[in-house]
Amino acid sequence: MKRPIKVLIAKAGLDGHERGALVVAMGLRDAGMEVVYTGIRNTPEQIVQAAIQEDVNAIGLSSLSGGHMAQFTRVMELLKKENVKGVLVFAGGIIPDEDARKLKKLGIQEVFGPGSSIASIAEFLKKRVRPR
Amino acid sequence: MTGKELTKLVTRLEAGEPLPAEFYARTGNARILGITGPPGVGKSSLIDRLIDELRRQGKTVGVIAVDPTSPISGGALLGDRLRMQRHSEDDGVFIRSLATRHHHGGLTDATPQIIHALDAAGFDIVIVETVGTGQDEVEVAEVADTVAVILMPELGDEIQRAKSGLMEIADILVINKADLMNAGTARREARPPNDGQKWERPTLHTSAKSGEGITILWGAIEAHQAYLVSSCELARRRERAARAEVIRLLQSRMSASILQSLEAPRAQNILTDVAQRKLDPYDAVERLSREVFGS
Repeated sequence: MKRPIKVLIAKAGLDGHERGALVVAMGLRDAGMEVVYTGIRNTPEQIVQAAIQEDVNAIGLSSLSGGHMAQFTRVMELLKKENVKGVLVFAGGIIPDEDARKLKKLGIQEVFGPGSSIASIAEFLKKRVRPR
Repeated sequence: MTGKELTKLVTRLEAGEPLPAEFYARTGNARILGITGPPGVGKSSLIDRLIDELRRQGKTVGVIAVDPTSPISGGALLGDRLRMQRHSEDDGVFIRSLATRHHHGGLTDATPQIIHALDAAGFDIVIVETVGTGQDEVEVAEVADTVAVILMPELGDEIQRAKSGLMEIADILVINKADLMNAGTARREARPPNDGQKWERPTLHTSAKSGEGITILWGAIEAHQAYLVSSCELARRRERAARAEVIRLLQSRMSASILQSLEAPRAQNILTDVAQRKLDPYDAVERLSREVFGS
């Protein structure tokens, strides 16, 4: 049987706004993916270890509190340090365009802002996740 | 085995690949604890607290947490880890979430093999959390040494607890969310812990929210494990588990081969005849056995 795409959805840092992340998690579930939802207030360390232990294909990071640059940068550093390969990282939330450009330079593949459709996120993952 | 090797091995097992023989030879050392019970009673939160207790004692813990696959989309929301996520950074803890992928019985196809992998990797305790169960998902009893059935207040009266199935596989009955009960009720329902030769199933009250009762719960699990050894029940359970695992693997291989044989046009015609009420299902089985499977 073909393995469904497995995605980790997490909120990093001190940010309790989880409605959006949960809606994305449920939407990806409905698109046939296995979604590990680790909720609010994860440290970057916890996110990266969870991604390793769960052996996910992709990590979706959500932030609405303005802490995205510090938190997401740290996640990318840790993924590199832990030598995690082939895991696609994407982000969503309230992230200014300028920051989105910087995050993409760090290796975050896409940033989904307010108004993004679930279908577009699912489509993106289906297209971009490396089969294995 | 490093954490990364383990996680890749688990992925291969989940995809249906066999456990390499050298790993099986290294199993049998971990204690396997099954945690089961209806959705929402606090199984994952209780495991989170048990991990604290075990880590304080210096024991390493592997957790397999199962959540259901959607019958509609084939996707799954794996939300058990969320309750234990604070242990993610601890090297002595490994947590893996699994979707049932349409397996019935409360676990997943590869759960027995994944337990072996965690056992072989050297974890002292392997905790298996089933999906939220109803009355009849009792497969965890085939893989665990000790089964704790978790309930919560107001789930039903004595008769509900006397029914067959889930209640019967409990070595330990836990009423979680005891903070919702009044203390008087808790005292009336509490039973003394067992003493020795025969296992008297204890009913314990816990609160994963406050942490109350967790040390007592772990004490009961250890008492049960001591009983398993002193009564030779452990050897019996493990033999039963080994047999069940082989039978299950054999069944799944045979059913795959049956499904393949049924693709043959002759078999398809017989199935169509049943659908059109020209042949009854029992005669169809007779004819399939004779004409397609040749026995």
